[in-house]
Amino acid sequence: MRFSKQQIIEGMKGAGIVPLFTHDNPDDAQQVLEAAYKGGIRVFEFTNRRNNSFEVFVHLLSVAKKYPDLMLGIGTIMDGPTTKKFIDAGADFIISPIMKIEMAKVCHEHKTPWIPGCATLTEIVTAKDNGADIIKLFPASVLGPIFVSSIMPVVPGLQLMITGGVEPTEKSLSSWFKAGAACVGMGSQLFTKEILTQRDWPLLQQKVAECLNIVKGLRK
Amino acid sequence: MTTFSMDSIQQAMRTSGMIPVFYHADVEIAKAVLDASYKGGVRVFEFTNRGENAFDVFTQLLKHAQQYPDLMMGIGTIMNAADSQKYCDAGAHFIVSPILKAEMATVCHRNNKLWIPGCATLTEIVTAKDLGAKIIKIFPGSVLGPGFVSSIMPVVPGLQLMPTGGVEPTEANLFAWFKAGVVCVGMGSQLISKEIIETKNWTKLQQGVTDALAIIKKIRS
Repeated sequence: MRFSKQQIIEGMKGAGIVPLFTHDNPDDAQQVLEAAYKGGIRVFEFTNRRNNSFEVFVHLLSVAKKYPDLMLGIGTIMDGPTTKKFIDAGADFIISPIMKIEMAKVCHEHKTPWIPGCATLTEIVTAKDNGADIIKLFPASVLGPIFVSSIMPVVPGLQLMITGGVEPTEKSLSSWFKAGAACVGMGSQLFTKEILTQRDWPLLQQKVAECLNIVKGLRK
Repeated sequence: MTTFSMDSIQQAMRTSGMIPVFYHADVEIAKAVLDASYKGGVRVFEFTNRGENAFDVFTQLLKHAQQYPDLMMGIGTIMNAADSQKYCDAGAHFIVSPILKAEMATVCHRNNKLWIPGCATLTEIVTAKDLGAKIIKIFPGSVLGPGFVSSIMPVVPGLQLMPTGGVEPTEANLFAWFKAGVVCVGMGSQLISKEIIETKNWTKLQQGVTDALAIIKKIRS
């Protein structure tokens, strides 16, 4: 294990942004990871959404060895056995779009952060009671920042990662952080189809840097 | 009594794209609504268990429906295992619920009936799927919106979702749902309006059903 749970949580909160991304081409996936790193990203989520995602993730883990301060986790995990498989491969954290208790058990056994996806306060508190330190809110755009600001006073200390439809604009980011988000997950809005098709890695790096700057500015 | 395989019911739901959802305490009105829906092209119908004598009306409706050998009759607003069993015994072709209750899955599977639970989060949806649900109702549909469906479809490929609650028989609303990836919609008061029932305007209902089905066909073509 390269990082403690606390380091990962601090890394996510510190940056405010956790990019999430999937690709079935290992070279392109590596380019995206490295461009994001150069743009300032230190916590990165690859998502398990393709048939060969495990192989691509293993490749990314080998790339990540070059960057001792890069935390690399896996997302879109749906069950206990898949959780175990990715932890054994070296995933620094496990993210899921759902709240499934069997995944918590596997993660706790391996002291790996479990970040379940929740969409109601009942799911969120159940996740918290089962040991989730950071909880993913999904799909966030359906719930909206008002959902976050409504529940934060009810359960103080919640650390929410907002995912699904967050945009890399000051307006969108500010609405979520104002509501009390600990960090946001950003996928297709950041790694646009256009950038990926054109393989414009310098533009990607620049977009990532700008996005991190927006968050920094909001927190001043 | 006509029976249908679970596959043929799923297939019929996907093909028509719409199932009417209706309750009335007066069996004659319920029959008239069923007749008009059938004439308008409906082949899958959901009567809902929402009133004192719903069971009596449903059993009479089932008898009435025997003249339509290709009509699938389900019961909705079922909340527990006991009622699931009661309606399976009465001959319901499928069981719909606004909630996700595992005990209902057990009963439906034991009786070889299609179980359509109502879910409102991805965690509930995946739990339902793991319990054997093939088609999952999204409820209340209008609160979650088409954006909910389009957000979750890439995460769990192959989901068959049926939003119910506030779905409107308009091109704009139906387009938004089908574009988001639903296989079917449930439509109640927006299709079978209070006004239609009060005026017993069955011709208007039949036309409304025909129009809604035509819109769906057009969206899909």
